[in-house]
Amino acid sequence: MGVFKTLFLTEIAKGLALTLRKLFSPPVTVQYPEERKPVAPGFRGRHALVRDPETGKDRCIGCLRCAKVCPSRCIYIETERDPETKRKVVTKYEIEALRCVYCGYCEEVCPVNAIVLTEFYEYIGYSREELYFDKERLLKNWDEFIITQKRPYFNPYWKPRGVPEKMLPAPKRKAEGV
Amino acid sequence: MAPTLEVISKPCGHPEWEEPFVVNMGPQHPSTHGVLRLYLELDGENIVKCDPRIGYLHRGLEKLSENMTYTQAMVLTDRLDYISSAANNVGYCLAVEKLLGLEVPRRARLLRTIVCEMARISSHLLWLATHALDIGAMTVFLYCFRDREWLLDIYEKICGARLTVSYPRIGGVRLDFTTEIIEDLYQFTEEFPSRITDYETLIDVNRIWLKRTKGIAVISAEKAVNLGLTGPSLRGSGVPYDVRKYKPYDAYEEVEFEVPVGKSGDTYDRYRVRMEEMRQANRIIRQCLDKLSETQGEPVVAEGAPDLLMPEKRKKPQAVPHPKKGFLVKGAEVPVVPEGEVYVSIEAPKGELGYYVVSDGSGKPWRVRVRAPSFVHISAIPELIKGHMVADLIAVIGTLDVVLGECDR
Repeated sequence: MGVFKTLFLTEIAKGLALTLRKLFSPPVTVQYPEERKPVAPGFRGRHALVRDPETGKDRCIGCLRCAKVCPSRCIYIETERDPETKRKVVTKYEIEALRCVYCGYCEEVCPVNAIVLTEFYEYIGYSREELYFDKERLLKNWDEFIITQKRPYFNPYWKPRGVPEKMLPAPKRKAEGV
Repeated sequence: MAPTLEVISKPCGHPEWEEPFVVNMGPQHPSTHGVLRLYLELDGENIVKCDPRIGYLHRGLEKLSENMTYTQAMVLTDRLDYISSAANNVGYCLAVEKLLGLEVPRRARLLRTIVCEMARISSHLLWLATHALDIGAMTVFLYCFRDREWLLDIYEKICGARLTVSYPRIGGVRLDFTTEIIEDLYQFTEEFPSRITDYETLIDVNRIWLKRTKGIAVISAEKAVNLGLTGPSLRGSGVPYDVRKYKPYDAYEEVEFEVPVGKSGDTYDRYRVRMEEMRQANRIIRQCLDKLSETQGEPVVAEGAPDLLMPEKRKKPQAVPHPKKGFLVKGAEVPVVPEGEVYVSIEAPKGELGYYVVSDGSGKPWRVRVRAPSFVHISAIPELIKGHMVADLIAVIGTLDVVLGECDR
């Protein structure tokens, strides 16, 4: 460091000049509760069961693929056979949101695109039970989410971009938006 | 008989008072970057003895992954070094792919390289932010977080998560990039070098920064190798060891980059190495983006890649038609993942991150062992801090860039 630089604190002055310049540039801070950043499509947020617009019910067929692939094992499903039609009926579908790690494996393996991690992230509860989503709650989550979205809504994980079609189950290949 | 504690009976101020002054630093100290506890013996302000105590963030990830399938265990690797989770995922996937003998498509390799280098930039930015804040430069901290936010937003567009990305999967990646992401990344690589210049203007020749970093925690090349340091901490001492050059994985063979090395091996040199690495990472991202257009439309998952829902036990052999009995299932069971053991190491932002995976043929790993750079680096703190003062300890922890999630696992 030369005598000139030592005496006149040139490097400090340069740094201060930079911060002064930045003072007049537009702020990057997002004033959160008033303004919000746009959420990217496919953000892995609160869980929901898709309400089929035709039947008004969920699409789940009770194949248990999501429950098996879940790394934190937070999905509980119970099914039974309808004695008349011999079809599988999902009697219980519960997600313990506090255990979920939001990896998105469940929506990727679901053959009928029944489950989705919505782009809604502001949810809280005062007790554990409030974040223990049962089937009605999951359908309600979907209703709350879908009114904020443009129709038809299509989640990227329902049919991952670039994954060859033959690796996907047949209903996923011709999946359409809701 | 168990040894009993010696009770210091001499009062303070006694002429024979010779016991060292013992101070506990951490685990809640803000500049230990997590929950590192240091047991210090002081003589005035000089450190006589430093003894790191780890294990406050132990979650048993290695043991947990033994009860999960290979795809499920990948989610756990996000939580190792939570600042650069994409690099951890890639390392684990490479190890399992080596066991399976999978050839990853070129597009997936390029995408993985991009997210790895993004993880490197984001990790180094957080390192610079906290290191500068510890030493006393507040503005750099704010600027670094501003730019890291930009990268996290791109991560959000890529895979839907900002920190625990889970983006790669065994045999490729989970989603392809959209054109919007590629444009965003082009814009980022265009602007980011000027941002690095900004940080350098603030601290590179700042006399306070120089006084706190020059000649602090000097480590010779030989000693650094013997201590097992890797990554920027080793390269700061002048050893040009980089896994990306010595054992190229993913797309590092086809991109051009330099491995920056330091000279004297002090804190300032390690800072210079990391700054230069950010520039090189930026360059790698740029080259990969240019190459992405050549592979437009290719699949991002390998041919024989296992499904996300892996079978937990060995598969039954294929049914063979039999003239009398219809179909016959006969022969040995087919392993989901071939038996064997494999060690793969990658150049994570912190250093050499190794995965040792043992398979017994089922869908669950028999053993996963992680060679974490932070664990090795923490063991080097007592060596580095010799003859320094308490205030320099902050600089030493900062310069080694340790993350306790990775160290304790």
